[in-house]
Amino acid sequence: MKYGEMEQKLRREARALLKEGRVDIIIGFENGSLKFTTTPLITSDEADIDRLVINPFINNNLSVFLTETKGRVGIVVKGCDSRSLVSLLQDNKVTRDDVVILGIPCPGIIDLDKVEQLAGKERDEIIDISWAEASVVVAVEGERKEFPIQEVLYDNCLGCELPTPKEYDILLGEPASSIGVDNQADSLTKIKQLKDKPPEQRWSYWRNEFNRCLRCYACRNICPACFCKRCFVEESEPQWLLPVPKWQDNLIFQVTRNIHVVGRCTDCGECERACPVNIPLRSLSREMYQIADELFHYKAGMDKDIPPLMATYEITDSEDLVK
Amino acid sequence: MKKHKIKKRDLAKLLSEWSNEFTILTPSRAEGATKWTKWDGVDTTFLDWYRNTTVPPKALFLPAMEEMFSFHRDKEGYHIEAPLLDTPKQLVFGIRPCDARSLALLDMTFRDAYEDPYYLAKREGAVLVGLACTRPYDSCFCTSLGSSPDDSSHVDLLLTDIGDEFLMEAITDKGNKLLTSTSFTETAGKAAETRAKESKETAYRKVTRKINVEGVKDRLLSCFDNKDYWEKVALKCISCGICTFLCPTCYCFDINDEFIKNHGERFRNWDSCAFPLYTKMPVENPRPEKWQRLRQKVCHKYEFYPMNFDVIGCTGCGRCIRLCPVNWDITLALTNLPAKAECEQEK
Repeated sequence: MKYGEMEQKLRREARALLKEGRVDIIIGFENGSLKFTTTPLITSDEADIDRLVINPFINNNLSVFLTETKGRVGIVVKGCDSRSLVSLLQDNKVTRDDVVILGIPCPGIIDLDKVEQLAGKERDEIIDISWAEASVVVAVEGERKEFPIQEVLYDNCLGCELPTPKEYDILLGEPASSIGVDNQADSLTKIKQLKDKPPEQRWSYWRNEFNRCLRCYACRNICPACFCKRCFVEESEPQWLLPVPKWQDNLIFQVTRNIHVVGRCTDCGECERACPVNIPLRSLSREMYQIADELFHYKAGMDKDIPPLMATYEITDSEDLVK
Repeated sequence: MKKHKIKKRDLAKLLSEWSNEFTILTPSRAEGATKWTKWDGVDTTFLDWYRNTTVPPKALFLPAMEEMFSFHRDKEGYHIEAPLLDTPKQLVFGIRPCDARSLALLDMTFRDAYEDPYYLAKREGAVLVGLACTRPYDSCFCTSLGSSPDDSSHVDLLLTDIGDEFLMEAITDKGNKLLTSTSFTETAGKAAETRAKESKETAYRKVTRKINVEGVKDRLLSCFDNKDYWEKVALKCISCGICTFLCPTCYCFDINDEFIKNHGERFRNWDSCAFPLYTKMPVENPRPEKWQRLRQKVCHKYEFYPMNFDVIGCTGCGRCIRLCPVNWDITLALTNLPAKAECEQEK
């Protein structure tokens, strides 16, 4: 991967954008304070530009910040993030002229949970993770372990439908039409296993999962599609939903959230990544994504010039929505 | 105070023996996230993976949700049923020194400043068996806050890993009693103590994250109105509840009623200063912006706790750093705090 070249180009372009006054703010990634971690860098200061990085750990979907930043923004996006951005354009949450899109052709993001599992070490005890061609080499004390890339990428990356942003102003690398991993089905393994269960088992599965939800709302707050200024869970007069983390209320919160983001969710995977108690949230959102595609032939964030899914009605629309 | 040792393979027998008197709680990942759950009577494999739990042990004393009492309505009006005051005898096995310290910090609010019957009912019957750290995380910074991976200040009994055995040091009478009542331990000799000392020193060196907390209360006080600084550090915060809910010393709660068909329950549940609703009042919200809410969290630990209790309300457990979805790092926010003079000049 040519991260170094992309990074250099990003810094050049971002510096020029600020210098020439074409943007007020740059939103990108910098190295985080923990190993193999990046963190959003949101800055107006040219002096910060050299901190911008591009590497296989840039997991955040930065478009979540667009609805709260003021002024013109230069933003770094991967393919999936660009779709979230396009979806925000479709919903008139962001104006195209106010953003300069710095697109990354993304080969996928490394899932540290998977690396930990495979290497048998936790992330801060791993010495190095390096990506060479089709494999990742993980150095732990005294040995180097090599794993095929498809074993360490995030599930949603394995099923990536748009590695290179379609909507961009500046592309930071050579465009690619796929992430080069030939096992998209792996992206849906967990979901398929769940769908194969009878409804009662599936019900008890989710009951169990939502039992530990703490209602920290990280899944909602990290999600670019969850842009409501007033969320139904915070309606207190009258109260719509009990803030007490009972599994029933937790489930209603998440189901409602999923219904609200269908047609906007781009399968970026941030909800599941953010969850501190490991609830497999993507199993819900990816299924909703599938249903939107099957019923309405709609994939979120692919075309800024068409109206959002939930804002249109065609006489030919499928009526199978409610069963 | 007694100093004993026990073979690791005998641990299950010891826990079984203690379970005659106590409900044994151990770290567990059976429920999908690491947390403290009732020991199953057999499994001690948590010793292989346990570094610290995602959900801190505060949840044993201040649960994420707790029924305070129930009530019903009839022709005569509302009737409150007696509160459910559970008084369990819990033995928290393997609590880390930082988390034991967090309970001492919670005591200042729930025992000293107020007497909270729900918290105290659970807290007073609890015994804390600490386990000194051997593998601190890169997010840990306890040594900057006057503690250490082997800090025994707030546990009843401290265990230290010395290879195939644990050294067991009684710290309080409760801890001493635990060692008196068992047949699976033996008195520790000099060799065990020497090995424990080495183990503790190695762990201490592994805590590499450092912050300078000297004068931090005054520095925060003078920078309280530095909007530019707080706005800048808060930019990437997403205002979720992770760092507060999973903080071992954050104790804010909300109270809610659920009322269905003439019968209701009153719950208290965790609340977070990161949420806009937390400070929403009929006429205004004193902390409408996220930088104000984030500042509140930092100041509560490092400014208000020192003002009220003369101690910093953070243990350096690092959960807020390693669990944050955007890697917002409190140690950086404190380290980069503008100098006092700089802040005062701006006022």
